[in-house]
Parts: sequence; C-alpha cells; structure tokens
Amino acid sequence: VDHSHHTGTSHMADNSTTAPPHHHHHPTTSAHHSHGGGMDGMMMSMTFYFGFKNVELLFSGLVINTAGEMAGAFVAVFLLAMFYEGLKIARESLLRKSQVSIRYNSMPVPGPNGTILMETHKTVGQQMLSFPHLLQTVLHIIQVVISYFLMLIFMTYNGYLCIAVAAGAGTGYFLFSWKKAVVVDITEHCH
Amino acid sequence: MAGTEWLGPRMHFIFSNEVVLLFDFWNVHSPAGMALSVLVVLFLAVLYESIKVGKAKLLHQAVVSVSVLSSQQLTEETDQDSSASDSAPVSRARLRWFLCHFGQSLIHVVQVVIGYFMMLAVMSYNTWIFFGVILGSAVGYYLAYPLLSMV
Repeated sequence: VDHSHHTGTSHMADNSTTAPPHHHHHPTTSAHHSHGGGMDGMMMSMTFYFGFKNVELLFSGLVINTAGEMAGAFVAVFLLAMFYEGLKIARESLLRKSQVSIRYNSMPVPGPNGTILMETHKTVGQQMLSFPHLLQTVLHIIQVVISYFLMLIFMTYNGYLCIAVAAGAGTGYFLFSWKKAVVVDITEHCH
Repeated sequence: MAGTEWLGPRMHFIFSNEVVLLFDFWNVHSPAGMALSVLVVLFLAVLYESIKVGKAKLLHQAVVSVSVLSSQQLTEETDQDSSASDSAPVSRARLRWFLCHFGQSLIHVVQVVIGYFMMLAVMSYNTWIFFGVILGSAVGYYLAYPLLSMV
C-alpha cells in the first residue's frame, strides 16, 4: 500500500513540472476548485460542480461559455436522454412484433381413436438477413452510441448536464413506457 | 521528448486509502474512511440491482391489477346495464394506473442516477472502491433476482 501511495505522489510531481494543461474547468457559480481527485492530474473535474463557463461537451468545437448556451445544451441533452429511452422501448416492441408475426405452422396430426388433431408449431426468431433483424442491428448501434454519449456527458461532472440526463431519462421513460404498458396490457388480456 | 507523454489524470488502478468520490465533501484520507466508503458504494450497488428487480415486479403487479380492475368493470357493466355508474370505476382505474406509472418513472430516474454514480465511482480508479462496486453488484443480483420469478 505504501509503495502505490509513493507512485501516486510521484505522478503528481511529474504533472507539476511539465507544462500545465491548456484548459481546466473554472466553475463560476460555486466557490470550490475542481481539482481532479487530489492525486490525479488537474485537467478533469472529479467532483460535481455547477457552472457554465468553459464547459467542453463531447466534441472539440463544442464549448459552453454563457448561460444561454448552457440552457440550450440542457435542452439538447434532455431530448437526447428522452430519445434514448424511446429508442429502447421502440426496439423492444419492434422485436416483439417481428417475433409474433413469424410463422405459425399448423398441421393436421392423427390423434388417438382416429381423431385428427391440429398441431401448431410456432417458430420464434429471426433470419439473419431479414429486414427486421437488420433494422434491429442498426437501431442497436444507434442505441450503443447514444448510451456512450450520455455516459460521457455525465462524466463531465457538470451538475446542470447531469440533471438534464436524469430528467430526460425519467421523462422519456414516463412518456414511452406508458404506451408500452398499454400494449403489454392488451396482449396479456387477450390470451 | 516533449509532447509525447500523458498529461491527464492517472488512468490505472491503484490500492490507496485516499480518494475523492463524486462530491467535494466525500474526501477520504484514512483506512477507516476508506472502509466506510467501500461499504457505502457496496450498498449503492446492492440498491441498484434491487431497483432493477423491483421495477419489473411493480410493472407486472400494475398490469395484473389493471386487468383485474377492467375485467371487474366489464362484469359490473353487464350486470347493471346502466351507463351512469361506470364513470367512477373507470376514472379510478385510470388514476391508479397513472400514479403507478408515475411512481415507476421516479424509480427509473433513481436507477439511472445510481447507475451513473457507480460508473463514476469506478472511474476514480481506486481498487478498493472497484471491489466494493463489483461485490455489491454480485450480492445485489444474488439476493434480488430469485425474487423476479416469484409471483
């Protein structure tokens, strides 16, 4: 344990003797400093802060500097999180629909005492090259990308943006799962 | 050689008794504080897994209760043959459904936030905290998932 502690401090010594990083977060609405973690370098904030000056968002050109820009970013992140929840639920219902539509094969089968029974085979599953499966794959990629974007946005540790992610997820779940729940209710009712 | 080294935060796991987790006030210096932090993170992970199971069960219960309510309405309507009395049960079922669904959305927000907190805790790259998250997920899954198949 002592050895690794020593390693940690020597890292910090290295960071202070090399050239200082070219950008760091300066929260203006709260008084604390967003030094990274104490032991790590000082480029990233490692605790939650509320601020809107010099907030980098995902891409290199995208920097938030004013309250207006932060408000716009809040709305955009909110909508992105809502879209993510909607996409999840849309994929679920698409999957269910494409599975239900696949192949009930009914064949007459001789039963006991000379009666004829109808045996029904249900094959659930998709062919590799069928359109529903390809569509599911494309939607899956979009879902993975958006989930990583939301993770990276949450990783900025900016309080406003994190609240936007959480609120958007909640609202999206409320709006889209409402519809899904109604669909589930009907299918449960009708068997 | 300038310009070729990593200037950012340390990005490897270490065993350390010092960490700052999530908030400024969560500043740990001592082994006791670290043990407490690991317990808190463990509890968070258990809570996360339980919420996942709890949400699924709540949804199942809500669907069952609403279908029971609507089938009750159906028998009431066929028995009484009057349309004046069926507005109250319908609105009651709808209100109950709405409250159920709103509650689930709140639980979903809590689940999302706790999930992100756990990710950020792991990102501290402290090995004890990481063990706490993993162990908590294991214990939470072990305790909660059998409840999923119970009706």
